[in-house]
Amino acid sequence: MATSTPKYTPVRHYAIGFFLSAILLYSDITYGAFTPLRGLANASSLYAQMISNGLLENISNTFYSFQKNRNLVIENKELQEQILQIRTRDFIERKNSQEKIKIIDFQKELISSLNNNNIHIYKIASIDLRNYLCCSTHRIFLQNTKNVSMERNVPVFAGTSFIGQTKDTFLDFIEVILFSDTSHVLPVKSNFFYCDARGKGKPMLISCLLDQNNADFQDQIGDKVYTSGLGGIFSKDVEIGFISAINTVSINETEILITLKTNPLNEIFYGVIGKETDEI
Amino acid sequence: MLGFWLDDSLNPVSIKFFLELNFGFLIFTYWVFAMPEKLQSLAALFYGLVIDLFFSQVIGFNMIFFVATSYVIHLYVFRFRIFSYFQLAVFFSGSSTFYIACKYLLLSPHNYSYVVLISSFLINAVLWVGIYLIMRAFRRSIFSNL
Repeated sequence: MATSTPKYTPVRHYAIGFFLSAILLYSDITYGAFTPLRGLANASSLYAQMISNGLLENISNTFYSFQKNRNLVIENKELQEQILQIRTRDFIERKNSQEKIKIIDFQKELISSLNNNNIHIYKIASIDLRNYLCCSTHRIFLQNTKNVSMERNVPVFAGTSFIGQTKDTFLDFIEVILFSDTSHVLPVKSNFFYCDARGKGKPMLISCLLDQNNADFQDQIGDKVYTSGLGGIFSKDVEIGFISAINTVSINETEILITLKTNPLNEIFYGVIGKETDEI
Repeated sequence: MLGFWLDDSLNPVSIKFFLELNFGFLIFTYWVFAMPEKLQSLAALFYGLVIDLFFSQVIGFNMIFFVATSYVIHLYVFRFRIFSYFQLAVFFSGSSTFYIACKYLLLSPHNYSYVVLISSFLINAVLWVGIYLIMRAFRRSIFSNL
């Protein structure tokens, strides 16, 4: 009497496949060996989405052209986008003006660099919504239609605050790491503390760990949190959110939860303060 | 691909209710279960690579799981044939939950949650029965000779 069922494939093939996959997985997690390949695949799929979206948009526009108010609607849309662009650009220009007044000698170099900066406005191409809502990796892709060369780790802002930094560029897309990504650290301050806030891996949340014996700490829920400017990347005193919870995590440590001001899901245009760059 | 695309579209909504759907994995396991002689180690490896490239954060994760799951299914494929729907649903949903657990542990440990795993186990067991019936009807109508 047979004690086992028949088998189709020798275990050798599966073992080879298993170990090959394990090697690829290890090298990707540890060394990021396939990051460019994955970026290329992401960019390609975004291109495909854009082309298909473009086709769909063309078809819908064809039908739409039969309506009398077509031009009016398009003009209205363009004006709305311009308003959004102006609003986004206006935020950083106002910040620059404030910096000029406030910051003294030791920050002159920073001011001059800000004044020489080019502000580029990009439209969002995609947000990795699945990971954004559940997991640790929070990234968005911006559409770099003008092929402007972009440096890494440049501040990115949207709405009325910063939201992250550029991470990489793939084809015509700029990958942006959001503050809420667990691998991102942002130097922040409030009226009573300075700390390095790390992303929580949850939408619009970052957190700081503080020494519980810190007598200076008198913040309360709802207090505003600003960039400290200590990292040398972000200009200081830009409001980035507010304290939404204060939790005791151990005998000596307190976790300050900060809810960010800008929701990336609500923003269409993102600004990047670039250095003087040459167009490709 | 359609399954993973569905996961990508639905999970941002379902995760709010502590549910992680796993259409892609369940559909793959169905086809291995239904046509073991046609989908073997190389097909699992290749399919895993494609999914890793377009839907995953790391290369190799889906490859390793697809190869391992494919092997287990091949090993017990004839025993599965005499299993009830309930037993099949428990096995395939269990595999799917193991896949989800490993994904969280490896790629997003901050968000690891037993509530998500338990609720996903239950919902994927229900999904498996639906996928089994739909895919079987599809296979019989399209690939009537298989």
